[in-house]
Amino acid sequence: MWQKGNPYLYVLPAVLFMIIFFFGGIIQGVLQSLGVSILHDTQFTFKAYQKLAQSMDFWQSLILTFKVSFISTLLSAMLGMMFAFILFIISLKSYTNKSYSYFYRIFQYPLVIPHLAAGYLFLLLLMQSGWISRISYHLGWIEEIHQFPVLVNDSFGWGIILTYTWKEAPFITLMVYPVLLRIHRSWYEVARLYGSNTSNFIKDIAVPLVLPAWLSSIFIVFAFTFSAFEIPYLLGVTYPRLLPVYSFDLFMDGGWEERSQSLALNIILAVITAVLGMLSYKMSKRWLPSERRGWE
Amino acid sequence: MRKIIFTITGFILIFSIVLTGCGVQQEQAKEDLTLNLLEADWESILEEAKGQKVNFHMWGGDDRYNRYIDEWVAPKLKEETGVTLNRVAIADTKDVINKLQNEQSVNKTDGTVDIIWINGENFKLAKDIGLLWGSFASQLPNVNQYVDINAPDIQFDFGENTEGMEVPWGKAQFVFIYDQTKITQPPKSMKELGDWIKQNPGKFTYPAPPDFTGSAFVRQALYETTGGYEQYLNSEKEEELDFNPLWDYLNKIESNLWRGGETYPESLAKLDQLYSNGEVWMTMAYDPGKASSQIEKGVFPETTRTFVLEGGTLSNTHYLSIPFNSKHQAGAMVAINYLLSPEAQLTKMNPAHWGEGMSLDPSKLSNKDREQLNLLDLGEATLPADELAKFKVPEIPANYVKRIEEGWFEYVAKR
Repeated sequence: MWQKGNPYLYVLPAVLFMIIFFFGGIIQGVLQSLGVSILHDTQFTFKAYQKLAQSMDFWQSLILTFKVSFISTLLSAMLGMMFAFILFIISLKSYTNKSYSYFYRIFQYPLVIPHLAAGYLFLLLLMQSGWISRISYHLGWIEEIHQFPVLVNDSFGWGIILTYTWKEAPFITLMVYPVLLRIHRSWYEVARLYGSNTSNFIKDIAVPLVLPAWLSSIFIVFAFTFSAFEIPYLLGVTYPRLLPVYSFDLFMDGGWEERSQSLALNIILAVITAVLGMLSYKMSKRWLPSERRGWE
Repeated sequence: MRKIIFTITGFILIFSIVLTGCGVQQEQAKEDLTLNLLEADWESILEEAKGQKVNFHMWGGDDRYNRYIDEWVAPKLKEETGVTLNRVAIADTKDVINKLQNEQSVNKTDGTVDIIWINGENFKLAKDIGLLWGSFASQLPNVNQYVDINAPDIQFDFGENTEGMEVPWGKAQFVFIYDQTKITQPPKSMKELGDWIKQNPGKFTYPAPPDFTGSAFVRQALYETTGGYEQYLNSEKEEELDFNPLWDYLNKIESNLWRGGETYPESLAKLDQLYSNGEVWMTMAYDPGKASSQIEKGVFPETTRTFVLEGGTLSNTHYLSIPFNSKHQAGAMVAINYLLSPEAQLTKMNPAHWGEGMSLDPSKLSNKDREQLNLLDLGEATLPADELAKFKVPEIPANYVKRIEEGWFEYVAKR
């Protein structure tokens, strides 16, 4: 039986792990959001969802969360793609690996810093009494620290957006760049032979090739910024809160009813993310023919 | 495909049978244990505790407390009793309550929490839903010898009767912290504080409740804007009490707070950061000794001092308790007993370690210990004990706390 190598058996541990911990957790969350629990008198009810839908706070938080995630994702996507192509062009033009691997390394550094630390770092940098503000004050650019613009804990969410962009753009670069690297140099030479210049080559050949990787990494970034807690907690404002912080506060309130609402909120977050995931998958299938395969 | 589903469900079934089987056995073993610990004599508890490793879950937001436990208490406790004390840092006691609630809901009997640092609403909640082990206070020799267990500020924790389920570890009082080079005459009442804020826009703020200290500041303001604390001690009348004067006061000062009241620091740590950067001119603490030790560490400027409002300053006692599913109850009892010894309490009172009030009754101490107590230098910025005692007012009953926090969000933060 083992010699035959039943592939299902080999994936069983991983599948079991996923089923118990991932789906188990989600099912637990759904049940609690519907007020069902082993501990209390169980009543199957949609009250938590109703309460949320009726509360203005929830809708305001939802809109704000969407806005912040959308802008963060957009900026990260643009910058990440740009960096990847800059690296790519450098590597096209140079015949040694040295120079661009050095640049490549720079983009890897933000990835090793945890989000919580990044949030705190930006706080220390951008507070009105933070490093940049003090340096400006000492250089005489501002007369007192309160003239420094409010960039963290602001109602628009610029602090959150900046931090996310700084963290996620390199991630997108690192998702896209390896795909570019697999393009043979000979292709570039062939394209040149047929009279295309570098920009034609990038537009007609390189961009279509990286689109799938780019789109999926954009989706990952959006899903993350839409539901992560630590950066909005450190850099957001007291009111309105972003959804993850809102959910955390509800959960920490201790009451059973708030807990159901908190989990309902998380389920809503998960559903929105899943729907967007489906959409982006469908879109990429429709737009991108399978031309990205079979060219190694 | 059907084959896979069968295999998987089979696995899950086997798993769950094994798991529940273990649970039942442990539960029986456990019950035999608890019975004798709450009645046993201290000698056999000490014997039982030897070699146990006790997990002490406590708020880890202050380096002084952490170092006192890790560097001073743990080695001495190990040496004297053979109990290993392992400190687990948590961000908020509510996290532990949540964890215990989850463990309770799946009948987990071998918990990893042996001691919690707790008081107020967390204690009430834990007591109400049965997360605490039992009435163990009278089992501890140091409690019987040194603690005035019937004093109202010890027997009642935010108005809730402790019933021996938790043991007093220390006493704290609410103080404001300021820089005397920037403020020569600190305000003496909430009204004067309001005037000061008006004259110095942007130089004052408080952490947003449910942060513990921010919530305490709002309670201070409640007492003073609604005519004293006495009316709140009887929590029967809760519904008919009017909080509007409090919201009016907080909204009136809001536009002159830091950042125009558009946002509040989410934690005391952030407010302290703003204070040490000089962005605001006052901070606060539920800990009279904090300013002195922060000066010593070089975090706060040398010219930092503390003041209290003459209309009263909140005081509370904080406690240690043992959860229902602790695995090492004997070890936990021995560790808690040690934390209440005169030696450990006097060291905790020393600003070089922590600098907060003891939970023992000074009149019950030996002459030698009392002498040490009188010789303690509490530090430049700490107010003398008699001045603190003069303006002391008790904490509000726990059931008000949540209502005040929710009200604050509704009527102050959102406006």
